[in-house]
Amino acid sequence: MAILIDETTKVIVQGITGKQGNFHSKSMIDYGTKIVAGVTPGKGGQETLGIPVFDSMKEAVNDTQALASVIFIPSKFTYSAAMEAIEAGVQLLTIITEGVPVKDTARIRQKAIDNNVILVGPNCPGLITPEASKIGIIPGEICSKGNVGIVSRSGTLTYEIIQNLSINGLGQSSCVGLGGDPIKGIGFNECLMMFEQDPQTKYIVMVGEIGGTGEQEAANLVKKEITKPVFGFIAGQTAPPGKQMGHAGAIVHGKSGTAKEKMRILAEAGIATAETPGQIPSLIANNL
Amino acid sequence: MLYEIEGKQLFKDSKIPVPRFKAYTDSDTIKAFAEELNSNVMMAKGQALSGGRGKAGLIKKVTTDEAEDYIQSILGQNHKGKPIDLVMLEEPLEIEKEYYLAVMLDNTSGQYLILASSRGGVDIEDIAENYPDEIFRETLPIFTEPFPYQFMELGKKLGFVARTLTQFTSLMTNMVNMAIKNDLTLIEINPLILTPDKKIIAADSKVVIDGNAYYRQPKIASLKSQRDRHTDLEYEADEAGISYVQLDGEIGIIAGGAGLSMATCDLLEFFGSSPANFLDVGGGAGDIKIEKSLEILSNQDIKGIFINFFAGITRCDDVARGVINATKKFNIAVPVVIRLVGTNDKRGIQILDENGIKAYGEMVPAAKKIVELVKGGN
Repeated sequence: MAILIDETTKVIVQGITGKQGNFHSKSMIDYGTKIVAGVTPGKGGQETLGIPVFDSMKEAVNDTQALASVIFIPSKFTYSAAMEAIEAGVQLLTIITEGVPVKDTARIRQKAIDNNVILVGPNCPGLITPEASKIGIIPGEICSKGNVGIVSRSGTLTYEIIQNLSINGLGQSSCVGLGGDPIKGIGFNECLMMFEQDPQTKYIVMVGEIGGTGEQEAANLVKKEITKPVFGFIAGQTAPPGKQMGHAGAIVHGKSGTAKEKMRILAEAGIATAETPGQIPSLIANNL
Repeated sequence: MLYEIEGKQLFKDSKIPVPRFKAYTDSDTIKAFAEELNSNVMMAKGQALSGGRGKAGLIKKVTTDEAEDYIQSILGQNHKGKPIDLVMLEEPLEIEKEYYLAVMLDNTSGQYLILASSRGGVDIEDIAENYPDEIFRETLPIFTEPFPYQFMELGKKLGFVARTLTQFTSLMTNMVNMAIKNDLTLIEINPLILTPDKKIIAADSKVVIDGNAYYRQPKIASLKSQRDRHTDLEYEADEAGISYVQLDGEIGIIAGGAGLSMATCDLLEFFGSSPANFLDVGGGAGDIKIEKSLEILSNQDIKGIFINFFAGITRCDDVARGVINATKKFNIAVPVVIRLVGTNDKRGIQILDENGIKAYGEMVPAAKKIVELVKGGN
């Protein structure tokens, strides 16, 4: 089962002829993702990587009936590309692009909510269901199929954790990178609920960081609704207040957004938190 | 964040009433401004990007005769790590009542959020703690086109009537439009002042712009504040597209990805040392960026360098080449430990090996090693 995507999910790549879009489309195809179309305005009728290219999302969706799309488009043009995807009827929209203006993201988010579209990102690595499909840029070779669901605000840190789990024989059901921006699509709670309902997932790992209140909201949900064991890690324990740590959303304002405070709140909700990413496999093993 | 004077200029451009003001350049400015005001009393306000200016004595009501001496006394004064190098002169206001007003792009709801209180002039945190019932909140949809009538109810809650009520609703409309038009994530007016002759005026400004929108807000992006919010090294990094934050620990860090970079900082502390910086080269960084990162660290007072990559988009051979080039160009006199896995890692490790540098495959032993080298060197 897994969540959000499987081997049957048909995917359209917006920006398929761009450098990043093309490179990662190839990597997705190699992994087994069913990419059925690409969109680049002005290049309709061409082909790349054996995939037909369309001028617009409307044409691509009409022709392929795909309901998922992924955006590899420069931040200046992401707003329009996302609006186009939602209006064309896509149901799962993933935005990899970094540096999208916050106002644009807030508008995309609202449009997605109004149209019942699941939005992942922006500024995220995407998602993967090992041995089935991936949308985005998570390296497939570090993943293995299993029963740990991962949801994370980070990219490379997630790879670190996935690899640690795989090496220790703990495969994954699905991994979702939510993205590092202050306003974004789905958050921890949506993913926790999906993992709770997914029969393949037995354990859930959530990787948070400083800034925002997503981890606190997740802790509340875990107390009330999540029956599966949840494990956590929070990055940014050494981050000073008021400074943005790479991700636009990773900034401590006052006391509530600190790593220490978040770890305390997670622990209070019965979530075992690791002090280093390397400790997560043993935390899970202790629970087996 | 913008300087108060920059924020006030934006207010003026957005038709939000502000006191008359002028940037100080030399003693002639004082004379000219006194003539403009037709008064020999004015406010002199040291400009800074962190709060607490009043308490630090950086704001004072002065006469034309006192102004120059006072301004000279605050210029160069250290305020929270930065010297004051900008002073504004402003028309003094008579105050009947002070209010608090803010418009922000709210991270939780993804909508515009308005906060307002008739207890202005103190920190919003203090109002929230002592008078939580006297902060009014209103949410405006993200696709909003604001009209004055939408703020009538809020204006009445704050106690505005008749002429002040229409002044308020039009100020609110202009404030929301200013946020939308300029890609601002926060506009705070504290205090908003009601004068005895029933005028509403913004006496202070706190304005924050979304850095992702710089490309379409070139005027704001080029303001002095946007340069000054960084330390020199942070600015140099920013120009090169590197996310870098100066910290005060002993080990310099170069990592790929914000989360991994933060976790790397944390791991050093876990093993008993401390990070001298946060540094994320960003996805897909080539050898030039790695070289630049090492150049930045070579200008920082550190005892060791830890390079940590789990490469996805980035390629390990680029990382290795950048490191080798940098060691040839810059004086790196401290121990360096490298951890390298991911795309093209075999090639990267080989390049390092050819130059006598051993790479680690895992983060924990590498972190332990650099801490050991740094501590052993004491």
